[in-house]
Amino acid sequence: MISAQNVTKIFTGRGITVRAVDNVSVEVASGEVVVIIGPSGSGKSTFLRCINGLELFNSGHIFIDKVDLAHKKTNLNHIRAEVGMVFQQFNLFPHKTVLENLTLAQMRVRKRSKAVAIEKGRQLLKKVGISEKADEYPSRLSGGQQQRVAIARALAMDPKIMLFDEPTSALDPEMVGEVLDVMKQLAREGMTMVVVTHEMGFAREVADRVIFMDEGKVVEVGTPEHFFTNPREERAKLFLKQVL
Amino acid sequence: MNATQNTWPWKVLLAVILIGMAAAIYGSVKKIDYEWRWYRVPQYFVYQGEEVHKIPFDGRITAVVANGDVSTVTMTSESDEVKTVTVDTKTIKVSEGEDLFVGDTVGFTATWHLGPLVKGLWTTMWLSAISSVLALAIGLCTGLARISKNYTVNMLAAIYVEIIRGTPLLVQIFIAYFFIGTVFNLSRNVAGVGALALFAGAYVAEIVRAGIQSIPRGQMEAARSLGMTMPQAMMDIVLPQAFKRILPPLSGQFISLIKDSSLVSVIAITDLTKSGREIITSTFATFEVWLVVAAMYLLVTSLLSQLVFYMERRLAISD
Repeated sequence: MISAQNVTKIFTGRGITVRAVDNVSVEVASGEVVVIIGPSGSGKSTFLRCINGLELFNSGHIFIDKVDLAHKKTNLNHIRAEVGMVFQQFNLFPHKTVLENLTLAQMRVRKRSKAVAIEKGRQLLKKVGISEKADEYPSRLSGGQQQRVAIARALAMDPKIMLFDEPTSALDPEMVGEVLDVMKQLAREGMTMVVVTHEMGFAREVADRVIFMDEGKVVEVGTPEHFFTNPREERAKLFLKQVL
Repeated sequence: MNATQNTWPWKVLLAVILIGMAAAIYGSVKKIDYEWRWYRVPQYFVYQGEEVHKIPFDGRITAVVANGDVSTVTMTSESDEVKTVTVDTKTIKVSEGEDLFVGDTVGFTATWHLGPLVKGLWTTMWLSAISSVLALAIGLCTGLARISKNYTVNMLAAIYVEIIRGTPLLVQIFIAYFFIGTVFNLSRNVAGVGALALFAGAYVAEIVRAGIQSIPRGQMEAARSLGMTMPQAMMDIVLPQAFKRILPPLSGQFISLIKDSSLVSVIAITDLTKSGREIITSTFATFEVWLVVAAMYLLVTSLLSQLVFYMERRLAISD
């Protein structure tokens, strides 16, 4: 489904060069849930943003369904329609109601009729458990509700892959659970997911594979049991000692 | 401290200050020898003009039928051509059976005309309205160009904004009319509107740019991550939010434009200011006319402020 080969992203600015993503190669199979963890500044979010072309990488290849993002003729808009993204800061459209947030891209990008888009939107709001807020503006919702709307908004495009960029980091602790529940449900339904998170419990419970990144490099890859009980690398051991 | 404060002492103070200032002005004006002639002002808003009706041929008045305040006069020429005119009864100069030569006066009708102040105000308003619409279009394009990643587009916009903001509007109007207007054979109205639109457009561009940049980057990213194209994301997501934020500074710019439009009177466009000057040359009622002209500008600008205030409240529902 996703095949990243030797992806490198270099940030330059004020005379400093940072290799934010350094020669990363990752394969994600269809229906797989991959959790990327690592200390802040390790390049995991940048790598995730490379996968749907929000960040352009300097070298390497990323194939989504065998289409190369690095190829000049690739239409990134078409790729992005197939790859849903959920942000740390929700990024709901504040001037549109919850339902309009869900229907806009369906109509603009998928060219669905308004009636079909609304039907789909209501269905998804029901799925994430906030159908009663359909006509509210996002500012009236709690953080957890906003993030669930954001997930529904991405799902409305019928994506093949869902990317999550620290979806619970901006939430109050008591709201983390409701968002994770929605994500767990998605994973059970067989959605291909790549999740950047600090929620170790989620990683342990849901992930098929855990990728540990540090300083732009993939340090260790393994199943959750292997990674959380018996990591091979010294850097991973140190990290786990600090977060667990 | 009490949460609910007594405001009336401050209201009294405000009233005292305002009355004091008015009294000071009144006292100063008293000292100089100026005769106020307010009664001469209303005729420059609307006035009653008399229209002369003349006989178009040599002939005879064959009938005069009075019908209250107006009368119908029937005239027959030597070649039996018949013509009727309607004039005010009080002003009839002829009687039935009278022989007249071509051009003789039959009577008058009184009609209401708009005076120079109203016409000037109308000129100021359409001048500002057209300039505002053009300025908004120019400003939007230039503002978008200013945030473009394309070096050429970006620099062209930056140079335009720099030149306009660095030179006085009065000089720009002169250049637009005497230089560009002469080269391209433009009318004074086109030159005036063009100069105002280009001037305001540069400021609108900066407002638009700041407005777009004030919208968090995540909004654009979220829209793009859903597969929307750059123009779609701009039109549906970023610009509507930016518009809400720039409405107050934008309205301030348009109010400025209305006031700045008074400068086009230097290229002999008869706007409100020029009308005022023309009235003064025939009445010498300098004080009254300028005060009235100022009040009329104030009326228009405050109506615009109220309109924007109303729009802001309407747009605030999603906050």
